[in-house]
Amino acid sequence: MTPTIQTERLILRRPTKEDWPVYRGFMMTDRAGFFSSSGDLAQTWKSWAAELGHWEMYGIGMWAVTRQDDDMIMGLVGPWTPPHWPENEIGWMMLSSAAEGKGFATEAARASLTHAFDVLGWQTAVSYGWPDNTRSVRLAEKLGAVLDPNAQAPSEDTLVYRHPKVAA
Amino acid sequence: MIPILHTERLTMRAPRWDDFEAYAAFCASPRTVHLGGPFPRCDAFHKLAAVLGHWHLRGFGRWMVADAKTDEPLGIVGLYYPEGWPEPELAWSLFDAAEGRGVAFEAAIAARDYAYDTLGWTTLFSAIEPKNTRSVALARRLGCTQSGSFYHEIYGDLHQWRHPAPEARP
Repeated sequence: MTPTIQTERLILRRPTKEDWPVYRGFMMTDRAGFFSSSGDLAQTWKSWAAELGHWEMYGIGMWAVTRQDDDMIMGLVGPWTPPHWPENEIGWMMLSSAAEGKGFATEAARASLTHAFDVLGWQTAVSYGWPDNTRSVRLAEKLGAVLDPNAQAPSEDTLVYRHPKVAA
Repeated sequence: MIPILHTERLTMRAPRWDDFEAYAAFCASPRTVHLGGPFPRCDAFHKLAAVLGHWHLRGFGRWMVADAKTDEPLGIVGLYYPEGWPEPELAWSLFDAAEGRGVAFEAAIAARDYAYDTLGWTTLFSAIEPKNTRSVALARRLGCTQSGSFYHEIYGDLHQWRHPAPEARP
């Protein structure tokens, strides 16, 4: 059974092939500049396939963030746990500029963290970010995550934010 | 959603997370030199996960080819049609463990039969980098004839090897 999460304003659900046009639209704009496949349609397609494939492989992955009354994907938030990652991550990527500034990413990330700790049984959770992605760093700080300089990072230029473990 | 195929010596199944080390070793090896590689581990995960996601996006895709007895992963073979590809392809990538055993041929035949007999396709090609002489030899053994080429930003010039039509299969 694929986990779907309902929050105050959102439904977090498994992403599908129908979400591809929105993801493509985001990746082909300048807003996606932090992501390596941005601007390259072939790489973008493969990265979306990998997003869906993570779910197939682990039965979990980053959720499609949608409004309760609108199934259109606004972003991807949730567990990202590839085998080469030093630790389990809660990642986020907001795709829709129209959905910005409403706290949707925060709401989705909080629900993801709760699910990771309470349902998936994670002992700890990190989020990886790049120093110049200030919006992403702000979200990590807003969630109460703190920079962990001793943690192993997936690559040299990556910051590791460690989340506080929320009480069940 | 990913069907399992059984051949005489092979099981063709969905890739799993525990295939990752075998796949990452393949990605880092000289075996990927004709495929734009070698690739680091972080790319290997994305590529392996994308094999699964391809099935969701297209309804068909590539299988992990495993030894029917031991389940050891031997390669990735199947139907490949990512964004930017001219038409669906029968693609094969074999790991060191498959060496010299005719695994690619056996798996390619099963994948081609699946495309023709289960999906009802009427044509199929394989894209091969011209210097990849071993793949060219396999294409010939499968009854393919070279029928053109296309240019790909990453892989450069790729030759198109056309497979025999369903009724012309050997």
